Amino acid sequence: MFLKNFWYVAASDHEVGRKPLRRIILGEPIVLFRTEDGTPVALEDRCAHRHLPLSMGKLIGDTLQCHYHGLRYDRTGTCVRVPGQDLIPPSARVRSYPLVDRYRWLWIWMGDPALADPAKITDYHWLDDPYWGAATQYLHVKANWQLIVDNLLDLTHLAFVHETTIGNSALVEHASVKVQRAHDNVVVTRWIIDQPPPPTFVKVGGFSGNVDRWQMIDFVPPAFLRLDVGATPTGTGAPEGRRVGGISMRNLNAITPETATTSHYFWGQAHDFDIHNPHTTEKVVAQIRTAFLEDVAVFEAQQANLELVPNPPQTDINADTGVIQARRILDRLYQEEVAAAPPIAAE
Amino acid sequence: MSLKFRVELVWQDSDESVAESIFLTSDGRVILQGRAVSPADRQALSLPADAALVSVDRKTIRAIKEML
Repeated sequence: MFLKNFWYVAASDHEVGRKPLRRIILGEPIVLFRTEDGTPVALEDRCAHRHLPLSMGKLIGDTLQCHYHGLRYDRTGTCVRVPGQDLIPPSARVRSYPLVDRYRWLWIWMGDPALADPAKITDYHWLDDPYWGAATQYLHVKANWQLIVDNLLDLTHLAFVHETTIGNSALVEHASVKVQRAHDNVVVTRWIIDQPPPPTFVKVGGFSGNVDRWQMIDFVPPAFLRLDVGATPTGTGAPEGRRVGGISMRNLNAITPETATTSHYFWGQAHDFDIHNPHTTEKVVAQIRTAFLEDVAVFEAQQANLELVPNPPQTDINADTGVIQARRILDRLYQEEVAAAPPIAAE
Repeated sequence: MSLKFRVELVWQDSDESVAESIFLTSDGRVILQGRAVSPADRQALSLPADAALVSVDRKTIRAIKEML
């Protein structure tokens, strides 16, 4: 299940330059590059002539030349040169995709271009906000994108998958979870009061005693999860809004389906302490990356099992409440897209 | 006694209004937030005199339909 009429992260901004980059998104081959003035471009990565990926070719000025027979395409996907002939067939064109450079990521619109409003791009300003230290990362995951969404909406897994980094048993045994569901949004809030900090928080926050810890997960469809996480020494008023003497971070996730069984996992980590120290950012990102690699092992093992036994029955527990609400929103949006799609003409 | 794991569900309608909460407890109960039904209401509406009754608004019913 892919939702087309949404912005997705296609690449980190630094990945795309004057060397064509191939990336499969929602099952479609895309080639990404920048024109000479730095404008990012996304075209279908398949020559209209004999289907070779255009990403195997090279840039000649602002045109992309196919490696096979030298057809050249401009930034709109229109063929502008066919070697050895003056006539360019009108069908010699490839699809171009709206692409926007924002928050250190390149955002692509895979659906109807007429609906591609950049104002709909989900807010990830923390990634380039001067009041936050931040870095972005990328993971390729051999699993369906919804498994990653599920994971980020239910953080009880931290106690088991990440017990050496960001988890501990307090997350499960002594937590109150609030799930707020709006029409197109789910927010899961969890407070863990007067409990020991997890190992990562001790390393980056220097806590010596118990803390009041929060996790606020903001889900925006199709696959954007912005986590507000942090802790303060217990009893200093964080639940009432006074975040003093502790640490606050944003864990910022944008999952882009590659195929039905693989995903591009773009994520970033922003922190509000020691913001100008790149070593602090590196330390925080390294800790989170260690945890995320533990998650990837889980996703890929789940996917392998699901490929052996597709659509098996599954049991839900209380902790799945946010996951269930997100899946309902996604199912509804998919049905709406299917209903709004123009009918396929009969042959 | 220390807090056990429990989930609070809140439905926000398209007009931004928020329903009263539904609580899922670790021992399997579903608890609705609402108002106790007064003796006067019980008499006027011929409601059971001794039962534990809770009055919820329609947004809570919508929340139950949408979320449970």
